[in-house]
Amino acid sequence: MAHNRRMPSSTRIYLIEDDRTVLQFVHHALALRPDWRLVGHSATYSHARIMAPNSLADVYLVDLGLPDGRGEDMLRLLSLTKPEAELLVFTVFGDESRLVHALQSGATGYVLKGCNDAELIEAIEQICAGGAPISPLLARLLLKQLRNNAPAQVADSVAAAPALSERESEVLKLVAQGYVNKEIASRLGIGTATVSTHIKNLYRKLAVHTRVQVVRAAQDRGLL
Amino acid sequence: MRALPPAPPPPGQSAKRVPHYLWVGLLLLGLLWALHSVSMPAGLENAVTLREAQASLPQHPQQPPQRVSLPHILDDQPAAWSGWVDYRLDWPAALHYDDPAQTRLALLLPRVGTRFRVLLNGHEIYQVGWYAAPERNILSAWFPYLVSLPPGLLQAQPQQNQIHIQVQGQLLERSGLWPLQIGYHGSLFERHQVLEVWQVKGTWMMLISSLLMGLLSLHLWRTLNERLFLLMAVAALAHSVRLALSVSLEPPLSFGWYFYLHRLAFTWYVGFFLLFVAELLAFRDRLVHGLAWFLIGVGPFWLAWTLHTQDYDLYRIWAGAMAVCGALSLLSLLFRSLQRGALESDQILVLLVASFTLATGVRDFLVVQLNFPGDADLRWTSLGSLALLFTLSWVLAQRATASTREVHRLNQSLAGILAKREAELRQAFDQLRASEQQRAIEGERRRLMRDMHDGLGSQLVQTLNMVRSQKHTLDAGSVESMIHHALEELRLMLDSLEPMEGDLATILGTFRQRIEPALVAAGIELDWQVQDVPALSSLDAQGVMHLFRCMQEIFANVVKHAQARRVCVRTRSDAAHVYLTVTDDGLGMQRPHTKPQAQRGLGNLRARAGKLGAQVRFFDAHPGTGIEFAFPIHRTFTPEAGDTVPSVE
Repeated sequence: MAHNRRMPSSTRIYLIEDDRTVLQFVHHALALRPDWRLVGHSATYSHARIMAPNSLADVYLVDLGLPDGRGEDMLRLLSLTKPEAELLVFTVFGDESRLVHALQSGATGYVLKGCNDAELIEAIEQICAGGAPISPLLARLLLKQLRNNAPAQVADSVAAAPALSERESEVLKLVAQGYVNKEIASRLGIGTATVSTHIKNLYRKLAVHTRVQVVRAAQDRGLL
Repeated sequence: MRALPPAPPPPGQSAKRVPHYLWVGLLLLGLLWALHSVSMPAGLENAVTLREAQASLPQHPQQPPQRVSLPHILDDQPAAWSGWVDYRLDWPAALHYDDPAQTRLALLLPRVGTRFRVLLNGHEIYQVGWYAAPERNILSAWFPYLVSLPPGLLQAQPQQNQIHIQVQGQLLERSGLWPLQIGYHGSLFERHQVLEVWQVKGTWMMLISSLLMGLLSLHLWRTLNERLFLLMAVAALAHSVRLALSVSLEPPLSFGWYFYLHRLAFTWYVGFFLLFVAELLAFRDRLVHGLAWFLIGVGPFWLAWTLHTQDYDLYRIWAGAMAVCGALSLLSLLFRSLQRGALESDQILVLLVASFTLATGVRDFLVVQLNFPGDADLRWTSLGSLALLFTLSWVLAQRATASTREVHRLNQSLAGILAKREAELRQAFDQLRASEQQRAIEGERRRLMRDMHDGLGSQLVQTLNMVRSQKHTLDAGSVESMIHHALEELRLMLDSLEPMEGDLATILGTFRQRIEPALVAAGIELDWQVQDVPALSSLDAQGVMHLFRCMQEIFANVVKHAQARRVCVRTRSDAAHVYLTVTDDGLGMQRPHTKPQAQRGLGNLRARAGKLGAQVRFFDAHPGTGIEFAFPIHRTFTPEAGDTVPSVE
């Protein structure tokens, strides 16, 4: 089991999910890691809006399809109030188009609901260790989106889109072609962890960029 | 050609305003008075009008001289007179002088010709065309002449002076000598100036106006394509030809051609003018049209006959016919107009001026042709025609303006209709597009239903049957595996719906995510050699699903039957194709007993590749098997242009 240096000895998890079977599944999976704890659970958006930001959780598992609100709004709230926490989107399918929005709202990764206990634990461990799950289609969408943002970057330097470094661009391109992290590392002559770091940095840039835009928009409207 | 409706009254014209035809009527009355006053001078001071002469024929000395009254027209005389005639004038008793050297006397010849010379006491003092070659065509009769009598040639006694005017006539041209005046130069000079202005300069003015009018009408006809302007153009240009020939002292034509063209131009002027007036009044009057076309059609033959017979009476008849036709036509039009109801002001104006012109023409016909009492020095028709031309110019300008306004109004109306049609077209297009979208959505819905039925549905039914049939010996692992497969099937279907824009590398990468766990479980290593290739338009959502199914079939075959340790997926492209190759290092194609299921799978592969428009090729990979898909590149687009690729929402 690979423990990250910055990983606390006891990972605290908060689940925002209305499906009780998923809650049971998470409980069941956590039996594999007795040192981890589920510190909170919200079945609705309104509950989570009050409770989740005040939790001491390190990892949030967020369902995008809440009965009374949008998961993206929850992510945006948590990314502002809990900037150090890992925000994992908990989704049934890899709906990449929606995942991009989730990433822009502050998500740092995603887990498929159909996974088994071990896969869930592995996903949480990977994200805490600095890894970042990404699919070829997601990489392609990100590449396209950032490329489309480029002209705006010139036109509006204040609200500049996140700058994509050359290495990040190479990594994204290879991911989009279906290569896995190990193959990418081999092709670019870098470590596998570095590949994950690039992707994670990209996620954070994306979210920070969005966050800055949200704050600026709020300021413009006199809300902040 | 089309005729515009009568011009509407100009905007802002008040009903109480004095109509323009009243003003013009007053002007015409003034013109008549002016013509009358210059034509019937109330006896010139210090001058005497000579109305008689002693005529002799120098070429026929046996013919005794005879006393003739002026005008003496050679056409009205026997054939012998058509040659050379000598007129001896009697010195008027009222004209006397004391000292010839101090006397400034002159002769005023308002009309004489066609060639002539003046002799005073045996000395030639003036001549026009007298010595010109016989074949030259000299026409002096249109111009008034002022001939000074040299004091040095005058006799001491006035009664002893001998004045001869010798004339060489030209048949059909009404040659001869008209009443003339003799008297003091100063008085006759003023009279000559008046005649010069009205007769010669007036003709030039009219020629220029008529030419301008003709060209302008021609231009308007070409622009507006309205017959009215064409009729006016022909009439005005015919009139111009007549006037140009009239003011030529020595036209560059033989007399025959001159006579024919001059009279024919006048005939056509009258004919086309009548047609024009009928058109302007918006009448299809049979009588007017018949008379006008009679003049236009019969004129050339009649005139040719006249020229052939050299009989001036024939032309006199023709001139009378023109006057009668004109009068009848105008009367008929007036009658029809009154019958129809109130005349428009422009129509009244044209009728008024046309009547004036006709009156001047009739007057000239009576005085000049039939020797009615009156002063034949001046032809009134010239002034009448000028007035008519100016009036018609004004009316035509009105018509052109009205036509422009009408075109503007029609343009506005058309623009409105066009905008309406455009809106309808856009609406129809939107409906069509909506219908197309609906059809596409419907097609996609059916495809999804079919896929779900054949894939996910089938998987779930199998699982359900298994659970039902093995209630007591249910293997949880088997159920989990089957549900997992169902979930994977669903994910594959959803993956196919993602907007991948024909990007083969990403499509294969997405598939890799789904298949790799199975390969890992089977201990098969995946060698991924995928690179970017041009986008393929055949890989829409349905195409992606077909490709996924093909890849599933291939990998299932590798895992289950090939006994392979390694599978390589590779993409490449050339100018015409994109190639996808999957090779394994398994048993290869020479397997002794290929199962029917595998054969069926290969058939499916070919069928799906066909739907993708791709060619599929199987080959021996030594060891193992290779499959290559060749996708034709119908169109290429860069990722930036990828947004233009139609995708299923």
